[in-house]
Amino acid sequence: MKIKAVILTITIALTLVAAAVAQQAANLSPPASHPDITSFGKQLDCSECHTDAERGTLKPLHDYRHSRQFIKDHRFYGAKDDRTCAVCHKTSFCNDCHTNQTEMKPSIKKGNRPDMQMPHPGNYMTTHKIEGKLNPASCYRCHGRANNQRCFACHR
Amino acid sequence: MQKNVYRLLLFCCLSGMASTAFAADLYVESTTMMRFFQDSRYGYTDKTYAPATQFLNVDLEKLADGNLSLHLSGWGRADLADKSFGDKRHDHTNGYLTYGYLQYDCPKHDARLRAGRLFVMEGIINEQVDGASLRTALPYGFGLSVFGGATVHNADLYHEKTDGKGDAIYGGRVNYNYDNIVEVGFSGVYETNVPHLVSTGNRTLVADGKYGSRRLIGADIWLSPFEQLEVMGQSSYNTETSEFAEHNYRLNLRPMDKLTLSGEFSEYRDNSYFLSSVMFSRMYQGLNDKSRIYGASAYYSLTPQLDLTADYRHYKREIGNADRFGADISYRFDANKIRTGAAYHYLRAGSGFAVIPESNASASFHELRGYVMRDAKKYIASADAIAYVYKKKISGKRSAWEAICSLGYKFTPDLILSGDMSYGQSPEYKDDLKGLLRLSYNFSFSNILGGNR
Repeated sequence: MKIKAVILTITIALTLVAAAVAQQAANLSPPASHPDITSFGKQLDCSECHTDAERGTLKPLHDYRHSRQFIKDHRFYGAKDDRTCAVCHKTSFCNDCHTNQTEMKPSIKKGNRPDMQMPHPGNYMTTHKIEGKLNPASCYRCHGRANNQRCFACHR
Repeated sequence: MQKNVYRLLLFCCLSGMASTAFAADLYVESTTMMRFFQDSRYGYTDKTYAPATQFLNVDLEKLADGNLSLHLSGWGRADLADKSFGDKRHDHTNGYLTYGYLQYDCPKHDARLRAGRLFVMEGIINEQVDGASLRTALPYGFGLSVFGGATVHNADLYHEKTDGKGDAIYGGRVNYNYDNIVEVGFSGVYETNVPHLVSTGNRTLVADGKYGSRRLIGADIWLSPFEQLEVMGQSSYNTETSEFAEHNYRLNLRPMDKLTLSGEFSEYRDNSYFLSSVMFSRMYQGLNDKSRIYGASAYYSLTPQLDLTADYRHYKREIGNADRFGADISYRFDANKIRTGAAYHYLRAGSGFAVIPESNASASFHELRGYVMRDAKKYIASADAIAYVYKKKISGKRSAWEAICSLGYKFTPDLILSGDMSYGQSPEYKDDLKGLLRLSYNFSFSNILGGNR
């Protein structure tokens, strides 16, 4: 009975959405991809184009400048609209770190890129016993319900 | 359920291939890694590992009418020596499909449909599902995203034949955006009932209300009335415990183009935040429930090549308080070919946070890091060192440190062979010597099927 009610609710909701979308004509999408490739070894100076808003539709650089602070808080931007990230980054870029079952620490996989800010590089085994008590929520985001197969070796 | 999901994935892949009626763009990223390292921890038998891992990402875009695309990512590994650490269920080989989905974009309606194995990040939602998601703009600045499917399971809990997740999960987010000045969103996630656990300890967690189903609702906000001010954050509420799980907010001020000042406030109720994780519900028991973090940082781009960051955080838990402060500097020159950086942070934390929380213990430590990297036309080289220096010795050792050197040769900009070597010491490991070889190969083809769009 409960399942039927849920299915009915979802069906009605999707119908309403479809009706609303049919009325929507404006094109608000960000561009599907950046005009230049920004993959490994081909990084560009973003400020060459993204200097100021007066040049047209170009987003000013400080809106998404990848400062240390931006990288630390990038989840807020990603959760708002990940299509902005997708203009330059393919999904695989995110999944170097964000996986359900990781094969190795991102800092090992990207050991030749120390300029990239990776989670807990170096020998973190001892330090995690302190950081885990200090702010376990920061561990939980990546290891709470994912990437925890190695945690079980000790945390039983 | 799981069989149906795999059938769905197979259907998506096959239908994706079949729909490549005309042109398509293909992007492939391949990384092959051979690692060699020894696990020589105090109190354990030494083990030698030599895992060979292949990572593969494939993006097939502009299929059918140009709006359909297929995205795949995964890895496979073969252990050439001892079985990989913590890998209980597999014998010297393992693999994983990280994601595999078909995506259809509808630019006219600003909509996107995905089906397969995918990640969903919307408001308070951060999930991986085998199912489908839809995101679309609605009239008058509203937007909607919904998702649903089977939970992607992980390693079984110790003494259990389940990872502790329910079998199905669904949710969504409704948002309103006004002229790119403010956006508010309301989101929720509902996972079916958690499985029955058999071990006594885990059943006690269930009985005590420390472990339960994942059911959260929440709100998020982004506000930037003018470019010098930005406020963003989110709160989540656990409907199983009937209390807030998280408040997390940031304030960014840009008084000058090159300067960003940030403020941070976070509050967690661990019982509600960790409710759907057996491992974390067990761990936080000694820390009590409530914690807060206040922080501030300043980021200054002195020149396009030189960035400075200073930061401070105050941690407030029921077992004690702690402070962390420090600074980072990064400098790039020679047209970004040489990149360097250094950082120092100090954590001042009392005995309650120590590895062994005795009355005279200390959890304070210094964290130091420095790196230099050269990314030239034909080669890439780097040296990186990071050290944690503890105020009081841990297991007779004052520090944990590691140094990594890497050297790579670019056969072409898209074909790079590199090797890393690292050495370190710590209270856990006697000698931590590791090496790896990495072959990265990226290629792309446009219009691989030769048709007309």
